[in-house]
Amino acid sequence: MASAHAALPALPRADSFASLAHGTGLQPRRPLSTIPTPPLLATETLQSARPTRSPQPAPGRTSELDRTSDLSAKGKTMSTGTRASSHHSSLSAGEHPRSDAAVRRPRRLRSQYPRGSAEMHVEYILVASFDIDRGPVMEHQYPVAITGDEHMLAELMLPDQAHVRNQDWTIFFLHKDTTQEEEDAERRAREERRARRNRKRDRAKGIIHESDDEDEEGGGLGDDDDDWDDDVSTDTEPEIGEGPPLVYVLNLVNTKQDKTVKRGAVVKAMAICTRHPFLHIYKPILLLALEEYFKAPVPETLAMLYNAVNEMDLSLMPKLSFLERHLLQSSDNKDLFVEKFEQMIQARIAEEAGADVNRPFDASNEPPKRPTIFRSGSKAHVEGHAAYVVPRDTHEFESKVMYKGIPIPVKVPVAVMPEIVGDFSLIKLIQNFSDPHSKTPQTFPLHPHLTTNGPNTHPIIVLVNALLTQKRIVFLGHNMPSGEVAEAVLAACALASGGILRSFTRYAFPYTDLTKIDDLLKVPGFIAGVTNPTFEHHPEWWDLLCDLPTGKIKISSKIEPAPITEGLVYFQQQNPAYANLVHNSSSSSGSSSSNDLTGDVAFMADIMRSIATRAGERVIRAKWRAWVLKFTRIAAAFEESVYGASALYIGSDEPEADIAAAHGHGYVWVDEATKARELAGNVTRIEGWRNTRSYYSFIQDVARLYTIRPLKGLDLAHLHDRLRAQRLTPAQSREIYDTLARYVRSYDEICLLLSVAPESQAGLFYVALGLFHRDREVRFRTADLLERIAEHEAGQHWWRALSRFEKLAYARIRREADAEARARLEREDAGRFSPVDHNRVS
Amino acid sequence: MGASMSISSLFGKLFGSKEVRILMLGLDAAGKTTILYKLKLNQTMTTLPTVGFNVETFTYRNIKFNMWDVGGQDKIRPLWRHYYSGAQGLVFVVDSSDHRRIDEAKTELHRILNDLEMSNCLLLVLANKQDLEGAMDPQTITEKLELSKLKDRPWFVQPAIAIEGEGLPEGFGWLSDNIKKSPRYTGK
Repeated sequence: MASAHAALPALPRADSFASLAHGTGLQPRRPLSTIPTPPLLATETLQSARPTRSPQPAPGRTSELDRTSDLSAKGKTMSTGTRASSHHSSLSAGEHPRSDAAVRRPRRLRSQYPRGSAEMHVEYILVASFDIDRGPVMEHQYPVAITGDEHMLAELMLPDQAHVRNQDWTIFFLHKDTTQEEEDAERRAREERRARRNRKRDRAKGIIHESDDEDEEGGGLGDDDDDWDDDVSTDTEPEIGEGPPLVYVLNLVNTKQDKTVKRGAVVKAMAICTRHPFLHIYKPILLLALEEYFKAPVPETLAMLYNAVNEMDLSLMPKLSFLERHLLQSSDNKDLFVEKFEQMIQARIAEEAGADVNRPFDASNEPPKRPTIFRSGSKAHVEGHAAYVVPRDTHEFESKVMYKGIPIPVKVPVAVMPEIVGDFSLIKLIQNFSDPHSKTPQTFPLHPHLTTNGPNTHPIIVLVNALLTQKRIVFLGHNMPSGEVAEAVLAACALASGGILRSFTRYAFPYTDLTKIDDLLKVPGFIAGVTNPTFEHHPEWWDLLCDLPTGKIKISSKIEPAPITEGLVYFQQQNPAYANLVHNSSSSSGSSSSNDLTGDVAFMADIMRSIATRAGERVIRAKWRAWVLKFTRIAAAFEESVYGASALYIGSDEPEADIAAAHGHGYVWVDEATKARELAGNVTRIEGWRNTRSYYSFIQDVARLYTIRPLKGLDLAHLHDRLRAQRLTPAQSREIYDTLARYVRSYDEICLLLSVAPESQAGLFYVALGLFHRDREVRFRTADLLERIAEHEAGQHWWRALSRFEKLAYARIRREADAEARARLEREDAGRFSPVDHNRVS
Repeated sequence: MGASMSISSLFGKLFGSKEVRILMLGLDAAGKTTILYKLKLNQTMTTLPTVGFNVETFTYRNIKFNMWDVGGQDKIRPLWRHYYSGAQGLVFVVDSSDHRRIDEAKTELHRILNDLEMSNCLLLVLANKQDLEGAMDPQTITEKLELSKLKDRPWFVQPAIAIEGEGLPEGFGWLSDNIKKSPRYTGK
């Protein structure tokens, strides 16, 4: 199904896009041939056997027949493959195990940071110092000098007021654009590496045949590290990116009193430049290295650090797919995808033992006995028997850096999401600006983009609105370490991004100072962290000033007024009854502040409650993620209703895409009036968001994700929302449950379903309600779906979270189905065929 | 912002402790930071070269001074202009023993005063380090800095020894007297 849809709508959709997103540099859709469909994907085998008849009536009977045969073959358990064949009789029974395996193991497992990859963990080490006569100067750069303004770098490395603190951290980003020449060189180097590897493999294995590769697709993990290549990853899943990746710089500055030098102090700073967003892991090493540099201020000290960090081994960290990363990021479960870590280790052990690396290895085979894998921190591990350990928490991969013989433990995030850079706390950011507000509520001067709940809009909502509508935002932390200011900036980026939207970190300046002000002001919309209170005296420099010490947010007196846009006018014309609710600068604010049209008042209350009850950082991030997702879906609904089309959602709009047309898409409201009210509350900020960088990059992402998304014709979120939010007739809910049960089959499809039903919300609750549907067939099919989910690598955790009541219902339905099938078998054995007795279930 | 603004200025009138913004500039190693902390804490501190700036608020003769001390290395002098807006007084600190760089000090001072944002600003020149051998007297400093060229601007040169605190009461006494007279302080 998936591939069939990918092929057909690609062209017409791409056209309609270009017209909507004019001039944004939208990249042409990749030709399908470059997107290899994952091996063993069940849907692949289904695509030729499109159901030609209407989906509704058929499945029931055929499935019963199939189940019969399956039961006779496999015994007690139901194979998920059965369901596939029930709809598509063209499938032979022999293919059952194939799709069965697909539910569990979709594609071969790769390392996220393979051994032997040319990608360095750290690209440069820099040292700067404050010269009494010349100000900040760069002392050394290793291995080579970063191109660009050396003096500018030195200034960033020596933050304002470094002299009043013994130690300070700063973070800043460099936009190092790779030139065409560099790119070519890189490509040549890559090709050469690949050729070299191939030659090596040739030697090791003898002659390779073309078919070798195909065999390995089955799961040859062994030589993964060797077989790795950058372009493989980009082909498997289109890379989410906007130009060359940023260079993230983590910088430590120390001031040491020294009576022997002029004016009694030495101020030196050392920085690590990396393209990985988890730059915070290097903090302990940098502390040791800078200390070392004070003793030995020579380039060799830099070289030692450079080699130590680049020798860090992350090759046992599995690479996750897009959907898997999303599941992991929004889950609090420490065991999610632990199997992948084990498989990486198994493969490594096999490799080291010189075992046959081509042995097919996936979940359909029982993993071999494991000699030395233990959970990190477990008793066996502590006692020191384990050569390899599985991380305690699958969100973080544990490794170490050896620096001067000292092993320094590091924890690297497994699911790296866009815009999540460094180490920060959303909770801290939210509390910082909420606590003062809760004591003495702040009133804001009105701005349509920002004060979406009138003058009493919550400051955090004002902040997130400002981020979405691309305002100039300054975080000011006078007398604070610049590291704390940088953290607030990074947290703000993550707040507005939710791991969904982009283009915030690229225009973020986690720490900057007056020396960069002229360049900063050339950037349309930025997020900057400063410690110099003189920024407060220049309201012409910013639109929103977030003062960290007082926790007050200020809207600039010189902020540009929001224009009256077409979308706003259309909306008011189309919905005259709700036009007055639209909050714009001309209308009085009273009405919109009293009723919470956007739902943000309730949302913030929920967030504050969660924080008060000590919900963790991950929970809060998941909630914000949901908020951002909702905003994008409301924006899509708004554009569709006002402009008639939206590039924020791509469904299949092919005429033969029966399922899409039948099931609808988009955000779900209880009724039309609720929808109009919520849109009215959001109009101004949606209009402010359109034409921003994050809006256009989101459109590109939607287009790119479409190419890898399973179930292109279906909006699972829409179906799930309808189950959740709407009062449905039994026929309506039957249709939804049938659709879910019928189409959600493969590993990726189940991942997708899990992603629209996050554990942090209700999990599988609404799906499992199908177990109590009036219609017996619906109950049976839902049970089948739940069984597939329970067998799924991630789904098992969702399954476990279901209530006992639901699990009992599942078991009862299973028994019922089994009994029924057995009864039928017996009847058939007796040589008589009679219609199945439809017992009613209580 | 409107609401919060009016409240703070109301309190300002009630308690008569209006904050005035004073900018303290000068070449590097002139003694700016030492003066700031002498005034604020009445202590002589061993200061380190200022990376960026220092800012402190203290009350002196019933006036709340919000005083900015900005680093003086030539590389960072172009940043001084960002501190100009809203400053009511400039304290320009000179190392009286540094004959070699007095000309440089003159150029910097006139560059500051020529900025539009500094046109209504009082000028206090502290001829610091009078205890050092060969220190220029206030008269010489006045001539070297070409202060006679200044029109329509109250200015005053005060000899000082910052580490002892000498000359600071006189200098800042002059400053507070003139601030109290200025239209910006006495009301709109």
